[in-house]
Amino acid sequence: MFFFLGARAEVPMDKEPEEEINHVKVVQPIVEKHCFSCHHDTNRSGGISIKAFFMGLEDQFEDRIVRAGKLWMHIMDQVRSGEMPPAGEPRMTTEEQEELLNSVNVILTRSLNANNPGRVVIRRLSHNEYQYSIKQLTGVDFDAKSKFPADGSGGAGFDNFPSTLFLTPLKMERYYDAADEILDNAYASPELWKQLVPDTYRESLFRKFYNWAMRFLKGPEYGVERPVKAAEEIIMPFASNAFRRFLEPKERDSYISLFREVYLGTSSGNRFDLALLETFKAILISPNFLYRFEEEQPVNHPYALSAFELASRLSFFLWSSLPDKELYEVAYREDLHDPEILEAQVKRMLKDPKARRLSESISTQWFGITKLKEGSPVDPDRFPEFTPELREAMYQELVEYFHHVMTDSGNFLDLLDSDYTFLNETLANHYGISDVKGEELRKVNLSDRNRGGILGMGSVLTATSLPLRTSPVLRGKWVLEEILGTPAPPPPPDAGELSEEEAGAEDASIKDLLVLHRSKPECQSCHQKMDPIGFGLENFDPVGRWRDSYGKGEQIVAWDTLSTGEVFRSPAELKEILVDKKELFARNLTEKIFTYAIGRRVEFKDELFVKELMDNLLENDFDTESFMVALVSSYPFRYKVNDNAEKFRVLAKN
Amino acid sequence: MSKWHISRRRMLKGLGASIALPFLQAMVPPGMSHYNMAKRPVRFACLFMPNGVNKYHWTPEKYGSDFELSKTLQPLANIRQEVLILNELMNKGSIFPGAEGHFAKTANIMTGYPIYKTMGENLNVGGISFDQLVAQHKGQDTPFDSLQFGTERINSGICGATGFTRLYGSSISWKTPTQPCSREIEPRMAFDRLFRNVVPNKKQKEQPWKRSVLDQVKEDADNLQRKLGRADQDKLEEYLESIRSVEKRIADEGKSKAFEEQITPAMKKELTALDIRIDEYNETYEGVDVTDKLRQMMDLMALAFWSDATRVSTFMFANSASNRNFSFIPGVHGSHHQISHHQNHDGPMEEYRKINEYYVAQYAYFLEKLQSIPDGEGTLLDNSMVMFASGLRDGNSHSPRNLPVLLGGRGGGGLKPGRNLNFKEETPLTNLYLSMARIMDIPMECFADSTGELCEIYS
Repeated sequence: MFFFLGARAEVPMDKEPEEEINHVKVVQPIVEKHCFSCHHDTNRSGGISIKAFFMGLEDQFEDRIVRAGKLWMHIMDQVRSGEMPPAGEPRMTTEEQEELLNSVNVILTRSLNANNPGRVVIRRLSHNEYQYSIKQLTGVDFDAKSKFPADGSGGAGFDNFPSTLFLTPLKMERYYDAADEILDNAYASPELWKQLVPDTYRESLFRKFYNWAMRFLKGPEYGVERPVKAAEEIIMPFASNAFRRFLEPKERDSYISLFREVYLGTSSGNRFDLALLETFKAILISPNFLYRFEEEQPVNHPYALSAFELASRLSFFLWSSLPDKELYEVAYREDLHDPEILEAQVKRMLKDPKARRLSESISTQWFGITKLKEGSPVDPDRFPEFTPELREAMYQELVEYFHHVMTDSGNFLDLLDSDYTFLNETLANHYGISDVKGEELRKVNLSDRNRGGILGMGSVLTATSLPLRTSPVLRGKWVLEEILGTPAPPPPPDAGELSEEEAGAEDASIKDLLVLHRSKPECQSCHQKMDPIGFGLENFDPVGRWRDSYGKGEQIVAWDTLSTGEVFRSPAELKEILVDKKELFARNLTEKIFTYAIGRRVEFKDELFVKELMDNLLENDFDTESFMVALVSSYPFRYKVNDNAEKFRVLAKN
Repeated sequence: MSKWHISRRRMLKGLGASIALPFLQAMVPPGMSHYNMAKRPVRFACLFMPNGVNKYHWTPEKYGSDFELSKTLQPLANIRQEVLILNELMNKGSIFPGAEGHFAKTANIMTGYPIYKTMGENLNVGGISFDQLVAQHKGQDTPFDSLQFGTERINSGICGATGFTRLYGSSISWKTPTQPCSREIEPRMAFDRLFRNVVPNKKQKEQPWKRSVLDQVKEDADNLQRKLGRADQDKLEEYLESIRSVEKRIADEGKSKAFEEQITPAMKKELTALDIRIDEYNETYEGVDVTDKLRQMMDLMALAFWSDATRVSTFMFANSASNRNFSFIPGVHGSHHQISHHQNHDGPMEEYRKINEYYVAQYAYFLEKLQSIPDGEGTLLDNSMVMFASGLRDGNSHSPRNLPVLLGGRGGGGLKPGRNLNFKEETPLTNLYLSMARIMDIPMECFADSTGELCEIYS
């Protein structure tokens, strides 16, 4: 402590060793002189604060620049072309300009070459992950989503994103209640309990009496060793499974002593079971169960995850749950980092029915149909035929389809267009397709090519409509964001009368809308990208049925030109155009699944990894298995790097 | 019934000595608990309405006490003497480059700072929200320092166009600048959390080992902390804090006993009725009209104030940009957010106004409910400050200037309601928070960008 204080108070004694140039130190004075005056935190001309990169701890400046690498590339373009600093402001000297460009260039290139796997913040289990892990651990079905306060989502829009998963006092209370309820259920079911406690410890009547007598002689803990021994055999496998690793001796002792405490403090006949229940309860609310984390190694270079950590990443990614026995075994006995072994596991796990959770999680959140689970998004008076059964069938159609694409058809492009889908009788009737009987969803070949792929699905079409009518704007916006990954920017702050979301009154015709949007130049540039795509899907009504007219005789003309020049005359032709935009779709798909799998956003420094994964898609005809193997084998999935900021603060504090 | 009375009295007698001690420490005169003191505490609530208002029908004609209620504010007719209408307040924190859409005008409505634009990594609303600040100062004597209610699940996903996670649109209460409070959205669960131990046949199962279990996991967390880097430690701190808060609640058995004991038969009657109403609603209700559910939530808030389960509460009628289907209101066809983008067309403008009026009516319901409950020498409303606000003025242009803000109640005598007040243009909304802090005796020099108090609202 004294040493630190002393060091801080004094002028640094030793001179900085002669090192390579500190490029941040080159950049800072130049931008300070030329950019800060407009681009500072409270002004943020153009929405950009350059000053913000150079505030706070100096050792973070470079990291910040790299994180915003794309922005800096843009800034350098502006500087290079002389657009910035703008006319009227003092120009940069040629020397300044060159130094600036060079140093930023070095910083950015260096980050790409650094092969930085990035790091993932410790994350709480999502409600899905909790539910499935509980199922695997205890056999109990627990509806976590309806019992826990909802989480938000972040990153690419998934609910397993570390920094949007909070723990609050309310949630802690719910975790406690949940553990209690889950274990009560397990205890109430002889079958489940037998799984958890194969050999329960029973005190014979004689033993009971003997122990009771001996306690007077030998103290109150006499005879507790046998049940404790028996309990240890039960608690350790449960805890190791819940924590996804072996317990340290210290941890084991503390859980055993919890058992002992409850056991000794309880007098009822089933105290062995009761003490186990309390111990299990502690395990189920322990941070070791509720949080996924990977231990930091005392090194300052990237390092491979431990075998168990990698197994966990794998199982939470593919199954939203804990590793199974085989995966633990492989992690323990073999080298999970070995490409062949890893590939074999990925293939095995994708074939397992549990992989459907991955399909459900990704597809429903990516394509934004989770709200179909929560209630009806359409007006029940206007659409009485939109029954809960239909809603459920729509939801399942997308999940079933995505899962089929992922595991059977093996081609991600099927998401955009195909000649099949999954229907039951209710949904088939809704689509006007006959000869599908019964509740079970099954694969059905489509004769009408307007329907195949997610753009022809009731779930997506309903989720992108308003309660009473379709919205070409919403549908177009959806395609730009979720399929092509090229969101239109929000309207300028003072767009005024014309709003970004919805134009036109209930009774305004679609044509009026078009005219309205194109009448203002500041709106036109973006709506020109959104509206035509939306019009291309106008043949589908607000609940996804086919229609040829709006009912009042006004024919629907799904004929338009995209802002990029392609012309289409039907939803089927629109889909063909989208399928051709392979690069955009490949990048979007990569970024989505990368973020879901790893738990952090794609950053500038990941550009090379992303490129590799994109190439994998483009070169292998969007092969799903090959992509999944490549993703799981990728450096960011299997490696991590330490948190550089103020390491081990807790230790330092002590 | 009579049996119960006797045992209760006997119990109170027996408990007398043990209750008195903790309250002594809290500077309460001997023999008194804060439950039977004459000066009742001031309660604070904030009710949030999404999507702004039809600006042509919000502000009443004439200022001062002689104002004429606007069309939208008609539901306040019975209670206009108890409400302040505050005009020209603005949230300066909502104006920054990139503050498009709703999110940047929702999460910060009670912090007054700009929020950080993020898809989720760096959530930050600049400061802690006013309700949480009040909770820190005034929440220590009650079982819950504050309550957060809503009606819609957090919007999932991110908004590609504006670059915000939608989480921002579902949170107005922030415990820290980076941590939103969890909201209850189901009346059933909210009720049980607060009152299950005081209505018949609901009592929770005993948890004799809870403390040992919590000790165990706290030890786990401490061990874990040592292995983590900075960002991870921050995240795990949430866990530790949550554990501490649960522990505190069980450690303070005297307090929860005292709380349960002071539930009067009148409260109990209301609680039991609400309990049944919630069950009936959940079992039988289908449809889009949410009125009853909103009222269940507000009844819960009123009962929580009445029973002193808490003194601070927030309620989001709906999430920001909510697209709740309002076709259950005569003359409205469609959903809220969609209609709020009215393009100045007469039809949608009127529908929009009707939705505003609907929410004002719910607010009036809450105020009247509080007014119907005696509290100390007056009513619960006399001892409350109930704010109603939206983060936008006009939903079509998303303007955060001249926000629709109402303040109901008399703040324990600190407020002089029954007036329509016009402040200077662009008066910071945070001035209102500063003034409310003054009324609650919370020492504060300034709050976010506040420039002074709104002395006009004082009595």
